[in-house]
Amino acid sequence: MISAGRRNTALWLIVFLGVLGWSVHVSDLLGAATAGDPFARIGAFIGRMTPDLRFDALFADRTTQGSFAYWFYDGDKWLAAAIETVEMAIVGTVFGGVISIGLCCLAARNLMPFGPVRWVLKRFFEALRTVPDIILAIVLAAAFGVGPMAGVITLTIATVGSFGKLFTEALEAAEPGPVDGVRAAGGGWFAQIRFGVAPQVLPNLVAYALLRLEINLAAAAALGIVGAGGIGIELERAITYTEFDTYLAVLLIIIAMIMTIDMTSEAIRHRLIGVGNKR
Amino acid sequence: MSREGASAADIARAAEAAPQGLDPPLSRRMIVAVGWVLGLAIFVLLLRDLGLSFDQFGRGVEKLGRFFSAMWPPSDGGQLPRILRSLAETFAMAFLGTFLGAVAAVPLGLLGAKTIVGQAVIHFLLRRSFDVFRGIPALVWALILISALGLGPLAGILALALEDAPRMAKLFAETIENADERQKEGVRSTGASSLAVLRFGLAPQVAPVWASQMLYFLERNFRSAAVLGIVGAGGIGFELEERIRIFAFDEVIFIVLIYMVCVAMLDFGSQRLRMRLGSA
Repeated sequence: MISAGRRNTALWLIVFLGVLGWSVHVSDLLGAATAGDPFARIGAFIGRMTPDLRFDALFADRTTQGSFAYWFYDGDKWLAAAIETVEMAIVGTVFGGVISIGLCCLAARNLMPFGPVRWVLKRFFEALRTVPDIILAIVLAAAFGVGPMAGVITLTIATVGSFGKLFTEALEAAEPGPVDGVRAAGGGWFAQIRFGVAPQVLPNLVAYALLRLEINLAAAAALGIVGAGGIGIELERAITYTEFDTYLAVLLIIIAMIMTIDMTSEAIRHRLIGVGNKR
Repeated sequence: MSREGASAADIARAAEAAPQGLDPPLSRRMIVAVGWVLGLAIFVLLLRDLGLSFDQFGRGVEKLGRFFSAMWPPSDGGQLPRILRSLAETFAMAFLGTFLGAVAAVPLGLLGAKTIVGQAVIHFLLRRSFDVFRGIPALVWALILISALGLGPLAGILALALEDAPRMAKLFAETIENADERQKEGVRSTGASSLAVLRFGLAPQVAPVWASQMLYFLERNFRSAAVLGIVGAGGIGFELEERIRIFAFDEVIFIVLIYMVCVAMLDFGSQRLRMRLGSA
């Protein structure tokens, strides 16, 4: 006699294996993975990605083959592109944050008594979250031209989508006491938000914003691939000229950039909400 | 703002209880004001450095308006079967990417958990490397994998797995660390091997949590997989990019709408499954 629990597990396993088999079939995974000589191809690829460094010439100038400077031959340009990426992420997060704070006050149940407005705003945020940012970036780059403006608008829209949900929930979780207190003292809608809600939720909102900054920075690193500004364009260029060691160099700059911002933002967040009550 | 509700005595009492609340000292007000001015100045500098202008914005909005008006009515361009096939491929990529990412993340998560590997150095190095690789978007991986493996879904699947593995490993490790020690203790006290402790003490606790985390990643990956086609890594992104390049926005909006329906369906199904896992 097989127990119901076991039969259930077996059933789910069959469903899972079915979907797995179907996925392998649809994506032609096995065919693609075994075509040609995959190991030779990957070996050759890794060989081309490895920079050509010579121990005796490591710190020579950029004209000497085998030096770091030769590997990072356009290092200044890449660094400038990395800084542009960080700037895009900051501006997108700030714009998105400011717009969201305004919209979320109209979408939170405790601040907006009129239901249909809340419903429309919540669906609007959902729609913004569904469209992948890169698709948005392609359309915006076609409209606003190649460059950081398309990227900033993309990040702003993506940020509004995610903040719309988070901020609304944070506002709705605010204690009604202080709000009632301000109302009892004769404060209007703005005074209620400014003195009743804001002091309660602001640290949380700033923490979300910093977290979002990290996400936006990673997203911004990819936006340049479709022409929306930032360091992605250098990745795209390296691939176009099949300079795989350059790709690795730019990738290392991206990693360094993301780590720097992550650690800074983490430190600020911990100070804001206290390390003790980390989720 | 009137203070009718509070008498002068009330206000005096409040001022005594919190002297800085009602009337912050000038120095504090100055710091706040200077902070705002500095922040605004830096922000304006950033905008100038990025070269953002109202002029460019205005022209872009105008163009965007034309794109929008070209979106109606949506049209499938007579290629519905091809679009549906691409969507199926996108889901397959998301599923396999999640699966491969999870396969890699389970051992990494075990090694990265403080309660499994006591060595602080290993723990620290692994966790830090998860953090480093966590930030790299799938599109960046896809771009380079295309060059290594050729066009097609294989590069996309691996890109998704590479993006997910470190993120999942971190979550998995945290789940293990949050698991109840007493159940493991109980199994260990029967004289079981360490493998049996993992299987009967730990696995029943973490498996449902991991499964629901994987479902969450599947939802995410379906969104990420939609863009990988742009660089040639398979899926619906290719169809979208092609149509945006030729300004066929009626077909673009058609694909986006179908895609949004698919996202909603997947999210709904996955949410139901996660709820079942939560109650189990």
